[in-house]
Amino acid sequence: MADLEVHNVTVSYKKKVAIKDASLKANAGEIIGLIGADGSGKSSLMHAIAGVTRFEGEVCYGGVSYRSPKEAEQLKSDIGLMPQGIGLVLYDTLTVAEHLDFFADIRNIQKNEAFKTYRQKLLHMAGLTEFTNRQAGKLSGGMMQKLSLICALLHRPKLLILDEPTTGVDPLSRMELWEILDGICKSEGTIALVSTAYMQEAAKMARVLLFDEGEIIASDTVKALIDSVGNYTYEQTACENERCFSFDEHTYSLEPLHAPHTEPTLEALFFVNALQKGQTLPHIEIEARESQDEVPQVVMEAKGLTKIFGDFVANDHVSMNLHGGEIVGLLGANGAGKTTFIKMLLGLYPIDEGELYLLGQQIRSGKDRQKLKSKIGYVSQHFALYKDMTVRENLLYFANMHRIAVTTALSRINRYAKELGFEDYMDYFPHELPLGINQRFSVAAAMLHEPVVLFLDEPTSGVDTIARAQFWQILQGIKKKWGISILITTHYMSEAEYCDRVVLMKEGRKIADDSVKVLHAAHPDAKNFEEIFLEYYRSKR
Amino acid sequence: MNRVFWAILGKELLAFLRSAGLVAMVLYSFTIDIYIAGEGIQIKPRNVHIGYVDETGGGISQKILTHLHTPEFLPPKRYRSQKELSRSIFNKETLVGLVFDREFEKDFRQGKKAQLNVLLDATAASQSFTTLGYLQNIVLDFSELDLPVAIKTHKLFNENADNKSFMALTELLSVITLLIVILTAVVFVKEKEEGTWEIMLLMPVDPRLIILAKSLSQVFIVMAGVVLALGFVVFGAFHAPMNGSFWAFMLLTFLYSFSSAGIGLFVAAVSNSVLQVAQFSIIIMMPLIFLSGAWTPVYAMHPVLQVLSFFSPLRYYIEGSESIFYRGTEWIDLWPYFSGVMLLGALLYWYGFRKIGKLF
Repeated sequence: MADLEVHNVTVSYKKKVAIKDASLKANAGEIIGLIGADGSGKSSLMHAIAGVTRFEGEVCYGGVSYRSPKEAEQLKSDIGLMPQGIGLVLYDTLTVAEHLDFFADIRNIQKNEAFKTYRQKLLHMAGLTEFTNRQAGKLSGGMMQKLSLICALLHRPKLLILDEPTTGVDPLSRMELWEILDGICKSEGTIALVSTAYMQEAAKMARVLLFDEGEIIASDTVKALIDSVGNYTYEQTACENERCFSFDEHTYSLEPLHAPHTEPTLEALFFVNALQKGQTLPHIEIEARESQDEVPQVVMEAKGLTKIFGDFVANDHVSMNLHGGEIVGLLGANGAGKTTFIKMLLGLYPIDEGELYLLGQQIRSGKDRQKLKSKIGYVSQHFALYKDMTVRENLLYFANMHRIAVTTALSRINRYAKELGFEDYMDYFPHELPLGINQRFSVAAAMLHEPVVLFLDEPTSGVDTIARAQFWQILQGIKKKWGISILITTHYMSEAEYCDRVVLMKEGRKIADDSVKVLHAAHPDAKNFEEIFLEYYRSKR
Repeated sequence: MNRVFWAILGKELLAFLRSAGLVAMVLYSFTIDIYIAGEGIQIKPRNVHIGYVDETGGGISQKILTHLHTPEFLPPKRYRSQKELSRSIFNKETLVGLVFDREFEKDFRQGKKAQLNVLLDATAASQSFTTLGYLQNIVLDFSELDLPVAIKTHKLFNENADNKSFMALTELLSVITLLIVILTAVVFVKEKEEGTWEIMLLMPVDPRLIILAKSLSQVFIVMAGVVLALGFVVFGAFHAPMNGSFWAFMLLTFLYSFSSAGIGLFVAAVSNSVLQVAQFSIIIMMPLIFLSGAWTPVYAMHPVLQVLSFFSPLRYYIEGSESIFYRGTEWIDLWPYFSGVMLLGALLYWYGFRKIGKLF
């Protein structure tokens, strides 16, 4: 019998089933990865195993079985849970040392010599030894997550449950987090359940569970999983049948194709699973825009833009430009200053220092912007849409705001709905739809007035693999057919591959700005963008 | 103007109708709440518990007691001693206690000054003192005093001296004030909460148009509520008189709603969540309602407060509305109320407009 066994756990909230019939096994010292999009049931399963939510089914740990949070109470001293969200378990005004004392006190840990040595070891692993007197609110996102992790490790839990500990954290801190985790699991024999949105992290896990729409679709070692879809993965080629999908130099097809096979990635599992479930992945076709507005050579030019909040410098003399017909990715961890920068470009934050030229005009006041508003499209983080209006009503409302003639507006809305594949959802309310659909329809809303430049703030965050792939296809299509420029922010370093040029930000400063090809050529050893950025983070520290 | 304006206005009305919670709150405030206020706030005595101790052996004392009848008073309850009566008042079982002592009847018959002792629970001040007034009237009827002056009362404007419709009207005016402020603030703050605010800022639309359309939509909702409240409660249930022009009242309400919407704009500018809207609205509205004379007549206030009350638009609105309903004042003579509401309203709206406009 394995040390941890989970049998047919189902968690449901009111009418919605969050996770259905999930089972897993794990042994001491193993790291089990939970991979999937937001809302695919990872957190619910973790909360059930941690005994903090009601569930059906059974969990067995160390010979003790429990079916409810109450029965799990006896095991609480063995369980460590770190919930989702950066710094969520921390208190902004307490210092690092005070945090450790506080968590030791509420866990009722004897503060003897052994504890002190262990505490020093944890602080050292987290690289926080020199920062014991700093308040948590003043730590960077990466340091906050490391502090949260060592707080969860303080009582030496045998079962560690970490919900997306690395999401939005910079690549270097992410690597350090994995090193801490690896070391602890090996030395203490801890079972760790870790959920993540980054596929690359799967390599560090003993076994991986893939989640999709409230179900575990696969569970095995990474190698076995990848091998299982090898037969369906080809080099990019034209699709000959319905059950086929191409993305990022790979083509996935259930029926044999006349093309050489290629090494699949973990993402392939989601595509193959969707194809096997018979989901049709609509082919995205964007038509040219109606208006013939010239896209200028230089769409946007920022010179030394600076934004200061109190004594915190959010953007420190950031300069960059955006040319006609290119997709530029603005990459960086949470808190690196990406959103602040986009908001300054849009005029949502006043510019404290520096010059900004948009579509050839210098921006000095709000009046300069008024004329440009009809040429700029913007999709904000979390897809801000009116919740009490249906998709169709939302789009019509936006069309009215842009004074688009009613007949034009209606035909455009219908065309986008077809092209971006949300035709069937026109009369639903946004909260009834999956994130991927909301994402596409937000883009449609931003495109109704046929802008010459699109600003997208974290549009792919939390969206599942397939929806993300389709979203990038849409962006490529828009760029190709419309010839407009797109500035997109993301904390998924892997998405850099799909951009023409990347700007990397760290702690409010720009640390890299080059085309994808040049960056790859400059770092021949790096296997992927993740590693290229890791090098930048290391060298500029 | 025009198309964008109507699109925003229509959207706000649609959003309102689709949020069941808000609709329920507005319906409740304009119907049940006003009905309860009219029916429930009683200044006249009603169901007053009377206790008495009678050591005279009946006669005059019983005759006096027969005058204390329903609905004002419950049948008087007899206690054996003054001690028991006092305890019952202490325990809040009795509000007014009467003590007819041994000498009472004798003195009365002999034409001496008979003394009736009354114990009052003065914590329920208004009810017990009005009861005292009743008692004095009753006792006055018994004395054969031949006063050279007779009083003949002529009740003006409200012939039945019925304060139900009056209380209902006052409550309606307070509800209008509170709702317009909260509703206006909420339509702006909801956008802040849901993140649509930024999208709105990036629309090629004049911010002034957005503010105007949004606040007007809420004024419409409140006006619809006023019609409901008047039809079902003020006229329907309480048969309030309408001696003046109905349209004068509606116009005054419209102007007043706009001025209060200005307060809502200010509240929206300074709060970031719906919860803060509730807190700010109450802090700002309470003094305004208090100073308006809705609860205490202005002439009874401290002189400093009397001066301050000139700055409460609700004061002009309440006085104007009462004049229209009860006194039937002509249009032309309503000018002080109209100009008061318009002047303060323009100021408040201008201030709120500027405050929220700065966020655009």
